[in-house]
Amino acid sequence: MVPVEYYLVLSAAVFSIGLYGLLTRENALFFLMSVELMLNAANINFIAFSAQWGNLTGQTFSLFVMALAAAEVAVGIGIILVLYRNFKDVDVTVPQEMRW
Amino acid sequence: MVTAPPMTPTYLLGLTALAVLLYDSLRTDDGGAGVLTGISVVGALASLGTAGWFLTADTGLVAGMSEFSGAVVVDGMSLFFTALFAAVTVLVTLGAHDYDPIDGKRGELYGLVLLAATGMSVMASANSLATAFVALELASLPSYALVAFLKQDRGSTEAGLKYFLIGALSSAIFVFGISLVYAATGSLLLPDIAAAFESGLGERTGIAGVGVLMIAGGVAYKTASVPFHFWAPEAYEGAPAPVSAFLSSASKAAGFALAFRVFVVGFPLGAATSAGIDWALLFQILAVATMVLGNFAAATQDKVKRMLAYSSIGHAGYVLIGLAALSAEASTNGDVMGAAMAHLFVYGFMNTGAFLFVALAENWGVGRRFEDYNGLGAEKPFAAVAMTAFLFSLAGVPPLGGFFSKLFLFAGAVDAGLWWLAVIAVINSSLSLYYYSRVVRALWFEEGDHDLSGAPTALYAALAIALVGTVVLLPGFGPVIETAQEAATALFA
Repeated sequence: MVPVEYYLVLSAAVFSIGLYGLLTRENALFFLMSVELMLNAANINFIAFSAQWGNLTGQTFSLFVMALAAAEVAVGIGIILVLYRNFKDVDVTVPQEMRW
Repeated sequence: MVTAPPMTPTYLLGLTALAVLLYDSLRTDDGGAGVLTGISVVGALASLGTAGWFLTADTGLVAGMSEFSGAVVVDGMSLFFTALFAAVTVLVTLGAHDYDPIDGKRGELYGLVLLAATGMSVMASANSLATAFVALELASLPSYALVAFLKQDRGSTEAGLKYFLIGALSSAIFVFGISLVYAATGSLLLPDIAAAFESGLGERTGIAGVGVLMIAGGVAYKTASVPFHFWAPEAYEGAPAPVSAFLSSASKAAGFALAFRVFVVGFPLGAATSAGIDWALLFQILAVATMVLGNFAAATQDKVKRMLAYSSIGHAGYVLIGLAALSAEASTNGDVMGAAMAHLFVYGFMNTGAFLFVALAENWGVGRRFEDYNGLGAEKPFAAVAMTAFLFSLAGVPPLGGFFSKLFLFAGAVDAGLWWLAVIAVINSSLSLYYYSRVVRALWFEEGDHDLSGAPTALYAALAIALVGTVVLLPGFGPVIETAQEAATALFA
């Protein structure tokens, strides 16, 4: 059996890649993909430790996470669509109506 | 005898949302705004009434009753917060009835507000991290859509985008934190996690520590606390004003409700501290950073709505004292957390009222800056009196509701031995009087020239209810704080 530390390293790596993408990308769609990576990093943990602990809680919850990720993307795409109509771009740095 | 299910207040909110959406999709004419508002207000009032009844009648619910194999628990705290969410929903839907920019789309707005309120109510009941995450998303997803509600408006779109981006980031951090806690303890149920903490985590303490930190990050986003506060000024400024009112009061309270239960029940402070995970210290740092940043930034604003947004960050800092002043085995825990809950309750009225006045001003077409409010007091005295009461209550001027809740909160911090935290809070609170009184001065003491048309009835009614809430909580504060402290103490038992 693969030691659990390996899973933790893998999920931490995927999470960090997602976080890096999220902080550096300016395109809103890449932003969504980065968030997806971060959520799936959590899923890796859930499934790996579900096997480790011998209960199904983690596996079941990873299904929840996937469903909610889809719902989140649906709302996000809607907002990005409105963004494109108003600003003619999907670059998250373009909207500057209000100062940060 | 038929017994009502313990979660009736939550179900009522959800059913009302469905009723609103059903009526909205079936109606054939363009009118129906009155019916939509009526359904929403009646449904939310029914939820408020049921929650209040469960809370005061001898139902045995205050002690706690778990549902769905322990994934959800109904107790004094969840009923207290559900009553708060329902009350804010009443105010917001009533106030939005006369808010012109959303004409023709009221059904969607009310439906989303009610769905978000349902999610918040479940957040207050969540006894498992799985429920907590699902409820958090049920509260968040409608909120994103609500902030971006004015599709033609660039400000609203930008606000919705920023709110969504930071929300998606923080929910990813939150769920990764949950996965780490699961990795360390093998369960998502809060009592089981607590049992794992009590019996020692061994070599997995580090994983659990990072997990707890990340869950705190998710909570910080929902409550608009440092370090995930920076969406708040944008989202509140760009969103339609009734939505800002809803988010800054109900959404913040929901974040705290979740934090109170997850941290107190799930990560018992005694066991966590001896394992090196001292989350009370974390919240002390966050409380100071949040209140200082919120209040100082609010003092430099030139737009009223943005000032209220930063002041709402400042208030999140005060309420964080309710978590920061906890300690293992202390008898003061229930009192200080109860005071934080009572402050959120009073805040639900005074802050919603202040944002509804901004909605009124937007409807009149006066500008967004402080000087645009000049002379409104002479022309619309009732609304201006209400706004003045909200602002003074927010600042904590006696004898308004906000004074008493702050008094109990700061006294709780002193009792817990954190006198320095109370001193910082008092200094911040007195600074806040400066920027709140700038609005009051503009309203009453400056000359202005406005061409105002109309006194929208429903919006005025909402203002009046919020005013009654803010003022009546003066004599009525005793029962509120007693209920809150009783509910909070039950959490530590």
